[in-house]
Amino acid sequence: MNRFWTGVAAIAGKDLRVELRTRERIAAMGAFVVLTALLFNYAVDRTAVHPREIAAGLIWMTMLLGGLLGLGRTFELEKEDGAFEGLMTTPLSAEALYLGKVLSNTVILTLITALTVIVFAIFFQVDLSGNPGPLAGVLFLGVTGFTALGTLFSGITAGTRMGETLLPILLFPLLVPLVTFGVSATATLMAGFPANEILGTLRILTAFTLLALMAGVGLFRFIVEE
Amino acid sequence: MSLRTVRWAGVALGALGVGLTLLFHWQVFFWVPTEASMGIVQRIFYIHLPGAWIAFLAFGIVAICSAVYLWLGDDKVDHAARAAAEGGLIFTTIVLTSGPLWGKIAWGTWWTWEPRLTLTLLLWFIYVGYFMVRNSTDNAERGKRFAAVVGIVGALNIPLIHMSVQWFRSLHPQPVVARPDGPNLHPDMLTTLLTALLAWTLVFFSLFLFRYAAARLESAEELRALTRASKAPGDEVPVP
Repeated sequence: MNRFWTGVAAIAGKDLRVELRTRERIAAMGAFVVLTALLFNYAVDRTAVHPREIAAGLIWMTMLLGGLLGLGRTFELEKEDGAFEGLMTTPLSAEALYLGKVLSNTVILTLITALTVIVFAIFFQVDLSGNPGPLAGVLFLGVTGFTALGTLFSGITAGTRMGETLLPILLFPLLVPLVTFGVSATATLMAGFPANEILGTLRILTAFTLLALMAGVGLFRFIVEE
Repeated sequence: MSLRTVRWAGVALGALGVGLTLLFHWQVFFWVPTEASMGIVQRIFYIHLPGAWIAFLAFGIVAICSAVYLWLGDDKVDHAARAAAEGGLIFTTIVLTSGPLWGKIAWGTWWTWEPRLTLTLLLWFIYVGYFMVRNSTDNAERGKRFAAVVGIVGALNIPLIHMSVQWFRSLHPQPVVARPDGPNLHPDMLTTLLTALLAWTLVFFSLFLFRYAAARLESAEELRALTRASKAPGDEVPVP
């Protein structure tokens, strides 16, 4: 078991080190969320509705679209020079590979989500002071569920001719629970309600995340198998 | 089961299904009483509800066959999953076209974010994704495994999606047949509905068997072509 977690850490460490040195994905996603927030300013008619009032939904959609940009490239590096085949010849199990990729994607996407929230707070004066702790918890849970499902499907799309373009078609229908309950919880917290108001929503979000992780651990083997 | 038996079973179920389909259309147009509040348009119900039932039944078959395929790796089970998915996609499309036609007259709008309607649309997209994954892989074996994963994850997610879409208030009529205190429906309406359910279930399984037999023949033919090619002198064996 210990070897298993060493493998998970090795994959996550490798991906994060590559990301730290190239900063390719994080720069693209970061620029994407800032520019999306900028465009929302012009897309929303401020006389009818202030972006602040629908901030929860906008933050979630910006996070998901920006995240999609990075998740689609989860296995991009492995595609080159037979790196994937090399990875498969190591004693590393498919489950460890999956969890390592989920871990590195979650770390990157958590940073991007933090940036998204800060950008919205600055651009649209979204007030975050009410429930910062629970708010961060809900967003982190959402990010984990999203990357758990997204990493699994990214493994699938990496093996198809359509590549990343297929990812939203597979992923979005299944993200309905995440968006529904994630946005609802975020909006409740932003409106200043106490954290125990969202317990029911939080339970479903946790169920979604656990289900996605279990499906990924159980099924990833069939995706990488030759 | 031999292929010949499968095809004859398909013919028998298909003949019976088409016969019953004609019968229930006669019932819908000439026999069943008109519903009091919605009027004549309520007759769409008799094709709408059986379509939805098949759509979800087919998805259940896809999920179970996908899991068994990943477990055993038997191509026959994959053929069954694909056959069910094709049938399911057709009946989901029927629900999605008959629903708005009914809704436009009964509710005055083509589309509402009604839970069951939304769920059916998402189900349709999961089916579409299933086929896109399957058809966009260069390696056929890999495509089958990918599609199976999509089918299983989709089915695992359906209960959660169902809970999410329920979050919004429902315009859709409440269940009239599957109720704890017995069906709340005119007996003639119930007869028509049950005929329609039976008719389309038979039609679905007939299509399912035909598609399954066709897939078996296709893979047998591919194998034959490969053997032929490998026997021809000087020819390279194509890599599957």
